[in-house]
Amino acid sequence: MTTTSELTISRIFDAPPELVYRAFVDADQICQWFGPVGYTCPYESVHSDARVGGHQRMVMISDDDPNDRSTIDMTFTEVVENELLVGHQDVEGIPLTTGTVRFHMRLEFHEEPGGKTRLELRQGPFRELLGDDAGAGWESSFTRLDSLLRRSL
Amino acid sequence: MVAADPLSVIFAALADPTRRAILTRLADGDATVTELAEPFSISLPAISRHLKVLENAGLISRSRSGQWRSSTLEAAPLREATAWMEQYRQFWDASFDRLDAHLRRVQQDRSEQAATSEGITQ
Repeated sequence: MTTTSELTISRIFDAPPELVYRAFVDADQICQWFGPVGYTCPYESVHSDARVGGHQRMVMISDDDPNDRSTIDMTFTEVVENELLVGHQDVEGIPLTTGTVRFHMRLEFHEEPGGKTRLELRQGPFRELLGDDAGAGWESSFTRLDSLLRRSL
Repeated sequence: MVAADPLSVIFAALADPTRRAILTRLADGDATVTELAEPFSISLPAISRHLKVLENAGLISRSRSGQWRSSTLEAAPLREATAWMEQYRQFWDASFDRLDAHLRRVQQDRSEQAATSEGITQ
């Protein structure tokens, strides 16, 4: 319901969908790009089985502090090769949170002219409890709360 | 009991539609309990309980002037909750920059391989 509860990213890659898709599902490719600079995702920690009900697991470790680590476990619920990956991601070790946080993840790989790919990522909810318990009457106050949240950034 | 982490407390406080409406009202300026209760068909003590939850989450502060004390919106925790998502956006942006470079390498390797195998067949 709120626009701030879901992260959406759209990005063009200068490579065809089958290559971008493989970079997301091949275990030996993921650890070469996943995570920001300063974090390493050891090859032996990566397991990837891109099938419905399959898991993709990995551990991301800070280069400066080996205790600063995060475990990611994605369970796939929809898989269309070179086109779509949907599932839920259980993440442990997020700053300011305790235990495991579950996100819904959706990755769409769209073919674009010139051998490019438009990746659409949706991840959420980031405010799971700012929830769907409310009727339409609250919608305007959400909109205002959303703009308040944006202003407070 | 294990102390809840700050974000969980904030999210729990934000989970209730009445409390969200109270925050929205306070975005327009400070208000007393009576003023805050006006739009709702619930009792003053019920509103006070909501204010207590919001105060515990650090989302509002309350002035200490007895019955007329007013509530003030505190932006910092909201910022923290929003920042959480922003961190993820930055995470993906940084990863995708690396993915860009990775895809360039993969394509380069491919064209080199193609060139080599062409060389062999010639």
